[in-house]
Amino acid sequence: MDSFSTEIKCVKKGEPGYPEKMKNLPNMPKQLYYIGKLPDDSLPSLAVVGARSCSPYGRIQAFRYAREASTHGVQVISGLASGIDSEGHKGALEGEAPTFAVMGGGPDLCYPASNRSLYERILRCGGGILSEYAPGTKPMPYSFPARNRIISALSDVVLVVEARKKSGSLITAECALDQGKTVYAVPGAVTDSLSLGCNKLIFDGAGIAYCPEVILDEWGLNAGPEEIEHKINKNTNLALATDLKLLYSYLDCRPISFDSIVRKSGMDARKVSSSLVELVLMGFAQEVGKHYYIRL
Amino acid sequence: MFASVLTAAIHGMEVSPIQVEADVSDGLPSFIMVGYAASQVKEAQDRVRTALRNIGVNLPPKRITVNLAPADIRKDSSGFDLPVAVAVLAAAGLIGEKHLHGGMIMGELSLSGEVQPISGILARVIRARELGCTFCMIPEGNLREASLVKGMKVLGVKNLREVMDYIANPEVYVHPPQEESEGSSSLNDGPDFSEVFGQEGAKRAAEIAAAGFHNLLFIGPPGVGKTMIAKRIPSILPPLTFEESLEITKIYSIAGLLPEGDPLIRTRPFRSPHHTSTAQSLAGGGRIPRPGEITLAHRGVLFLDEIAEFSRHTIEILRQPLEEKFICVSRATGSYIFPASFMLVASTNPCPCGYYPNMERCRCTQNEVHQYLGKISQPLLDRIDLCADISETPLEDIKNPLPAEPSAAIRERVEKARRIQTERYRGTDILNNSELSGKLLDQHCVLTEDAWKLIHSAFDRMHLSMRSYHRILKVSRTIADLEGSGEISCAHIAEALSYRGLDRKYW
Repeated sequence: MDSFSTEIKCVKKGEPGYPEKMKNLPNMPKQLYYIGKLPDDSLPSLAVVGARSCSPYGRIQAFRYAREASTHGVQVISGLASGIDSEGHKGALEGEAPTFAVMGGGPDLCYPASNRSLYERILRCGGGILSEYAPGTKPMPYSFPARNRIISALSDVVLVVEARKKSGSLITAECALDQGKTVYAVPGAVTDSLSLGCNKLIFDGAGIAYCPEVILDEWGLNAGPEEIEHKINKNTNLALATDLKLLYSYLDCRPISFDSIVRKSGMDARKVSSSLVELVLMGFAQEVGKHYYIRL
Repeated sequence: MFASVLTAAIHGMEVSPIQVEADVSDGLPSFIMVGYAASQVKEAQDRVRTALRNIGVNLPPKRITVNLAPADIRKDSSGFDLPVAVAVLAAAGLIGEKHLHGGMIMGELSLSGEVQPISGILARVIRARELGCTFCMIPEGNLREASLVKGMKVLGVKNLREVMDYIANPEVYVHPPQEESEGSSSLNDGPDFSEVFGQEGAKRAAEIAAAGFHNLLFIGPPGVGKTMIAKRIPSILPPLTFEESLEITKIYSIAGLLPEGDPLIRTRPFRSPHHTSTAQSLAGGGRIPRPGEITLAHRGVLFLDEIAEFSRHTIEILRQPLEEKFICVSRATGSYIFPASFMLVASTNPCPCGYYPNMERCRCTQNEVHQYLGKISQPLLDRIDLCADISETPLEDIKNPLPAEPSAAIRERVEKARRIQTERYRGTDILNNSELSGKLLDQHCVLTEDAWKLIHSAFDRMHLSMRSYHRILKVSRTIADLEGSGEISCAHIAEALSYRGLDRKYW
């Protein structure tokens, strides 16, 4: 698994190997350049897209939905951008199915460069890097909205995790609707500008991705509604000591500062800090900034 | 005729005795000064001549030669006017030389013959005592400062006429009564923690840092009180002993920064250099170096606000003094050693706009956040054991604040923890938990079994480095000391983990 080929392959429209899912759609590229593999047409695939500058909430949800999908054999497709896209790929790498990135430049150029290690991990784990642009083509501002149509075309379901009012992810959702794919959005708080795009999608009729299982249900990968019910209930019934439980109840999906927890709980700063660390170590909370915590 | 008078020059923190020799001989009338003197010292000849004339003393029209010995030390500090005047008067036979023996003389002259106060008196008087001098003649304006030195006869003089009267007849001179200034250090009038509402995490971090002499980093958005809390840290440090006070006063005396009324520094220093400061202003600069900010913060707090904005070059110079508790400044004229045992308190914003991780307000990209914190030098971050967040206080808390603990109560706990450490490290060469390393760390950080389990699971889950693991052990040792507990328990480790220092890969 450690070595991977960086050979750039090309498949033309109409040739065998060109993705089935794209074949009959209008406005598809004449050829696809790729490193590694192309998505398997026989397997289900999910696009995870969203804002580049996302909140910890979005980051965690993208990771979680992608991981769940991948463990159930769903290929995750995204754009390797920072933020939600990266978290989607990372979550997918935790599961079993390969993950694929559609680039806005040549497949040999890792953009953004800071995602180099993720780029390599995708290839190492049997995934692929795709692009309609020839090797060496520099990514241009217009090429990113254009590649979104390929992301949606390659997937059966598009999941938008976090998007502002005017976000590139909404272009992906629009393409998906034009191509006849299903769109899901992760809901957020109404006050949250980063969730405005998602909430609007839901208003316009997108599916509400209130847990990963509802998406898996699209392919019938779940046991059924009972399991969903069970999983949701499990989260509210934590086997925690009383004070830990109390502190957990003050945590939120948005970062809350240590000081506000002290203030709200009325507990001693000493007790709060040690209990929060316990919660983090038990996997119930995460520290997303210095002394800022969210619940998981 | 020849006469000689003892005075002293200051180089860095060192005081070297200087003999001012004067000779009046026949020849063309002139006034020559030799002996590697800086221009402000050479100017003494004009001030001396004019001052003498203005009090009615006419120097004989002869060849006057003044030598400052030893000739290989550059005389750069002020205060040579008075010894030069006295040496010349003695050489010209206008005053008797007998009563000059065993005395150290220093002071600056005005043209009217008044003796002006100078800086660095305390250090020179202490040196005079070491040299076995019997008295010191100093400007009257420096008398309070000089009288801090016990067991030394100090004469404060107003003008040249008084000097001549004294030397003519030392017995009639009335000594001003020496002041008793051994008052314990006063801490009541400075800023106090009772004025800080909320920010419990930051206050607790300050308490732990003070108890173990750990360095501390505050992270928070602009304008939430990082500076306010840092300013109050000296008030929870143990009060200064008289020796420490004297040590600090000596530094401030040399830097010429002593307050006028009460020369003894009784509160721990708090220095807050601006982020545009140069490396020289921090370390001590000048051709003959003067104490820099880190030396002025000796035994107190050095606060670097917006540490990410300091230039890397400036910050790097802190590394050596943080380890060795002194700084050695090398110049062409020699090496100068300044004490620099301070507690470093730094503050920074979490990102360029300052509001991360509040994504409603923060519009920085993930990259910008990483780059911003990446500006802080990693070797420096490695020396900061504790890190705490300071967040915004909501308006209702400002309106109806919960009562805040006064500094005195916190200080009591800090002092208790310090006593435990003094007892524990007796016979070793360290004083505080922050200095623990290697063998001593293993020896003194005894963990309960549960605590071991906790730190092991943290090591894996939080991706701690070996270095941050050691820092957590040190901080948990201090937290246990604050509770008076010999063993380090789970709660101590967990709390230390929550305040753990900043790791680059951390968010």
